[in-house]
Amino acid sequence: MMTQSPSSGTQTPPELAIQTRDLNLWYGTFQALFDVNLNIKKGIITSLIGPSGCGKSTFLRSVDRINERLGYVRIKGSIEVYNQNVYAPSVELAQLRKQVGMVFQRPNPLPISIRENILFGYRIHNEKGGRIAKSEAEGIVEDALRQVLLWDQMKDRLDNKATVGLSLEEMQKLCIARLLPVKPTILLMDEPCSALDPKGTAAVEELIWELRGRYSILIVTHNMAQARRASEECIFMLMGRVVEHSPTEKLFVTPVHQETADYIEGRYG
Amino acid sequence: MFEATGINQQNDQTQKRFKMLFGVMMVILIIPVIIIIGTLIYKGGPSISWSFIFDHPTNGMTQGGIFPALFGTVWLVVVSLLASVPLGVAAAIYLSEYAPDNLLTRLINLATINLAGVPSIVHALFGVGAFVVFFRFGTSILAASLTLAIMTLPVVIVSSWEALQSVPRSFREACWNMGATRWQTIWNVVLPNAYTGILTGVILQVSRAAGETAPIMFTGAAMFLPFLPNSVFDQTMALALHLFVVATQVPDVPESLPFGVALVLVGIVLIMNFFAIWIRMRLRGKKKW
Repeated sequence: MMTQSPSSGTQTPPELAIQTRDLNLWYGTFQALFDVNLNIKKGIITSLIGPSGCGKSTFLRSVDRINERLGYVRIKGSIEVYNQNVYAPSVELAQLRKQVGMVFQRPNPLPISIRENILFGYRIHNEKGGRIAKSEAEGIVEDALRQVLLWDQMKDRLDNKATVGLSLEEMQKLCIARLLPVKPTILLMDEPCSALDPKGTAAVEELIWELRGRYSILIVTHNMAQARRASEECIFMLMGRVVEHSPTEKLFVTPVHQETADYIEGRYG
Repeated sequence: MFEATGINQQNDQTQKRFKMLFGVMMVILIIPVIIIIGTLIYKGGPSISWSFIFDHPTNGMTQGGIFPALFGTVWLVVVSLLASVPLGVAAAIYLSEYAPDNLLTRLINLATINLAGVPSIVHALFGVGAFVVFFRFGTSILAASLTLAIMTLPVVIVSSWEALQSVPRSFREACWNMGATRWQTIWNVVLPNAYTGILTGVILQVSRAAGETAPIMFTGAAMFLPFLPNSVFDQTMALALHLFVVATQVPDVPESLPFGVALVLVGIVLIMNFFAIWIRMRLRGKKKW
């Protein structure tokens, strides 16, 4: 767990999961984010909408610092998770990523068994070199699969390969389950339903709704209807800037900015 | 309404002509292979026997078997693999998984690929200078094997690199996002899915190392030795050089002898290649992601 700064003692405003201050980001010479200031609340679902290339995914990927793998990303400003700047030199990436889990657009289970997929994260963060007692492992697997509503379908085929014979919906739920054993508190989801059929989309949305409260969820989506029905707050981004951040209901019914109104009415994007 | 018009017939003609052209090319390509293997079996086949494989050459290498050469070739290949595989795979892992994508890395990649095209006689002379003279290994199995290793290294690196790159990036991202280090990712996910590909590349290099003559001629292979080598610091006979010797250097060799040697050599190479193809096919069947 990251250290809490002493200044966050005030009770009245809702606790924040992620907070950014004047966040600017460049890929080489291309600036992808401009002065992003966001306060994302703890325990709710926040959706991130906007046309392609508006910086939604970029923002998501800079929260768990996976963007850095590209090597040519530069950042100014800060991203704070529970009031601690994740770009501070003292931050250990493994600890950050334990706290902040990521779900991708295409379900990407590892080519190992369903059981091992779920234990993978737990093993790599385990001090005993990944050795887990069998009973403990069984408990972890069952708990994670129950949380994503997969236990009943999967309990008899835990040793099957996770990349074969599962529907995309099941794979995506498994990818969510895989994050849970290391006890993250924030889940980042990058268009988690865009590879799924309508039935799968509904099922995964239901699951996300189910996870609300236990986890702070930040979900990027292309699908405005999804943002509307599956999130409590909504952020609209355009050309690397945050245009509007308000309760979902309000953003869709009475948007403050003209760009937002045009976008949600489908005039562009 | 749907009958062919002049332009259709013309297109049809062109299409047929090209099909013919490519077919003929294919036949031209395959004929030499059939002739070579056919001749080897026809002329060398009769001399193949247990004693041919397990006896020493006799009567100034005009009779007897080829065991010391076969034995030496196995030695050379094994020792060269012990050097080239760990080195090559490690270098490939670095280039594929760790090295930043910059000009230097690209230059190194380019250099590696080009190194694969250096003539083997150049490698041979390098081996003489480096291993025989500078490191004082003398003409020995060790020097010859290391020379073979240097020769096969570029292809081992390139094929291992390709095998590593064929593991989908999404697997790596999944691992990194769970907080795995690069090494945890490589060990748990990348290598288990790349090793069959790496193995295929290595086996193809085995057949190449077994067949090369130039790199071992000056570094450790002898024309004739009455005894088998005792250690890696001894010289040895080798099949490829033995074939060269009995075919061109020794008088009064019965015609079937060099053909027999060639048949054994080609046989080893083909068996290794088929083994590599078999592994690749098994891998294709198994890999579903």
